[in-house]
Amino acid sequence: MTTPLETLRKKRAESVNRILQKGYLANTRVYVGMATCEIAAGSKDVMEVFQNAISTGKVKDVYLSQKGCAGRCNLEPTVEVVEAGKNPIKYGKVTKERAWDIITKHIINGEVIEEWVIE
Amino acid sequence: MKEHVITICNGTACINKDVRGLQNILEEQLVKLDLQDKVKINVSGCLGMCDKGPVMIVYPGYTIYGGVTEKDITEILQEHIINKRPISRLAIQEDNLFNRFFRIFGDTKFFGRQMRIALRNCGIIDPENIDDYIALRGYEALAKILTDMTAQDVIDEVKKSGLRGRGGGGFPTGTKWQFTADQINDQKYVICNADEGDPGAFMDRSAIEGDPHTILEGMIIGGYAIGANKGIIYIRAEYPLAIKRLEKALADAEAHCLLGKNILGSNFDFDIEIRLGAGAFVCGEETALIRSIEGRRGMPKPRPPYPSVSGLFGFPTLINNVETWANVPVVILDGGSWFSTVGTEKSKGTKVFALAGMVNNTGLIEVPMGTTLREIIYDIGGGLPNGKQLKAIQTGGPSGGCLPAEYLDTPIDYESLAKAGSIMGSGGMIVMNEDVCMVDVARFFIEFTQSESCGKCTPCREGTKRMYEILTRIIEGKGMPGDIEKLERLGSMTQKASLCGLGQSAPNPVLSTIKNFREEYEEHINEKKCRAGVCKALLNYVITEKCIGCGACKRVCPVDAIDGNKKQMHHIDNDKCIRCGMCMNTCKFGAIIKS
Ligand SMILES: Cc1cc2nc3c(=O)[nH]c(=O)nc-3n(C[C@H](O)[C@H](O)[C@H](O)COP(=O)(O)O)c2cc1C
Repeated sequence: MTTPLETLRKKRAESVNRILQKGYLANTRVYVGMATCEIAAGSKDVMEVFQNAISTGKVKDVYLSQKGCAGRCNLEPTVEVVEAGKNPIKYGKVTKERAWDIITKHIINGEVIEEWVIE
Repeated sequence: MKEHVITICNGTACINKDVRGLQNILEEQLVKLDLQDKVKINVSGCLGMCDKGPVMIVYPGYTIYGGVTEKDITEILQEHIINKRPISRLAIQEDNLFNRFFRIFGDTKFFGRQMRIALRNCGIIDPENIDDYIALRGYEALAKILTDMTAQDVIDEVKKSGLRGRGGGGFPTGTKWQFTADQINDQKYVICNADEGDPGAFMDRSAIEGDPHTILEGMIIGGYAIGANKGIIYIRAEYPLAIKRLEKALADAEAHCLLGKNILGSNFDFDIEIRLGAGAFVCGEETALIRSIEGRRGMPKPRPPYPSVSGLFGFPTLINNVETWANVPVVILDGGSWFSTVGTEKSKGTKVFALAGMVNNTGLIEVPMGTTLREIIYDIGGGLPNGKQLKAIQTGGPSGGCLPAEYLDTPIDYESLAKAGSIMGSGGMIVMNEDVCMVDVARFFIEFTQSESCGKCTPCREGTKRMYEILTRIIEGKGMPGDIEKLERLGSMTQKASLCGLGQSAPNPVLSTIKNFREEYEEHINEKKCRAGVCKALLNYVITEKCIGCGACKRVCPVDAIDGNKKQMHHIDNDKCIRCGMCMNTCKFGAIIKS
């Protein structure tokens, strides 16, 4: 008989697989904060901008995900850009316009926009 | 271009092993090897690998090096940084649940001092995707207890951890589990208290929204430990997103055989359902909460019997707070003995706070017990904006108190805060500067509690109301000698005679401000003066010598309280003045001041 631990290990392998299939190993991963507080600060619009950029093919090889609140209330909405081999970059007070700039400057051209980075 | 980051743990244990000396050597070596432009050094708070210290993490790659010596530093730089070959001999494999957060966030000042146990996945995973949770060892604690722990083993582990309730009372969690487990009854219940009624508090909401599965996992483990098959999450209807995510999490967990019949193939069954509360502060009190679930009016009842003996529908019931539940999977996986190394002697683990008010970085933080208020406000919170001075720190919301700046070095734990005259509470923390009037603050909280008092017992119903009236009178400039003493007497009676925690704690904001800021009360009553300039009725607008008699103020005054001839100094009649401030805003010469 398989033990619950063995059953769970199998489930974990399946979960990891599904995450990988969703493109987790993409060159760039983008996380948008989507808790009540972040949404109130406007993160739904920001999410839409990233979704559009991906669906229209403006950016390629990007894995987009939502996340909960990391606690930076006064800097919300927050967006995190994780690129292979680089330090994760966290942006604060991201608006629709800033989201576009992050896409064109950072994700496409690789320039970090220092001004909005959360230190 | 920086290519690497080396994060150096500056926890106490690592500092004791001279991590600072190593940092100096590292900095020298970087210069020597001409790497200073390529490597950034970061310092972090305790990374929780104290026995393996000194600890350094090299990014990218998150290679953790433990037990680093002077000699190793050169090797790390040569091999790892220059030759791009991580050194397996020095690398340690630590998969503690909590410290993953720091491999992502631990490099900023705001996060460096923190330690995330309850919120370990918040802000990292997609809360609506069970795969994300499972991939990060989610439900492994549940699988572990179902595989090789008895119910008593689980309770013993929780006892060993020293975990105490995070809902405000701080009751030892393991002891409560034992009481409920010891009841012999076919039907028992597990409840998660997600009522969160303190004004300004949002710890539990964020925890649920960021990582709902950890709450479910904690509750299922609790059910197994006490022998219950039914769990209920009591959450206020004002939290629609948290409810939506809980519903999704419940459905996903059930689909994955992590909830329902024969969990993970074992013979343990457990169900969880959500009950919505209408948002009354008193319904966070456990006995009132239970009545509310039963469909009755949310009013407390005397204890004993405690819910662990006679709770929901008269059956033994284990009720814990959201944050308490979120700690449970970590206690099981990382072990009770590990958990008990975090925090102080009597308060183990971490506490989540909603840091708010006049502080640069407002936010949700989680710190080890024993962290001082100073560290929270100045290191994590980044101090007060606009160069203002700290006046008071309010903890514990409407049940807590205001501590003056002298208490900045108070460590955060249940006993120290109580000794200082406040409480830990559920985790509200408001920073106040000199522009805040303490009498006004006391009235704000008592206004809240008097309107939330359920009215069942007289001391609470009448006591809070009368205190509110006296405070209002003081604020309106009609305070009388003896009012302070009256407040003290009423407060102590309400504390002692009220039926439940609401009334017993409601006077705290009043009594603590009287204790620590008595002179402000006296000024309000005797001199009709509010030093913070908040209480409108005590404000006087005065025209000074700078006045050139232009008449602008006279024209805007809505109640004709200003008098004066052209080109001569004007005057304000304070009996007519309604303190609207229009004159001051209009004056171009800065001649009108508040006093
Ligand atoms: C007026 C009042 C309000 C309360 N509100 C809450 C609440 O919102 N959330 C909570 O978890 N506990 C609240 N409590 C504490 C609960 O009665 C109870 O102690 C707690 O849920 C037990 O869980 P714990 O041991 O995990 O802290 C409140 C108590 C009082 C007296």
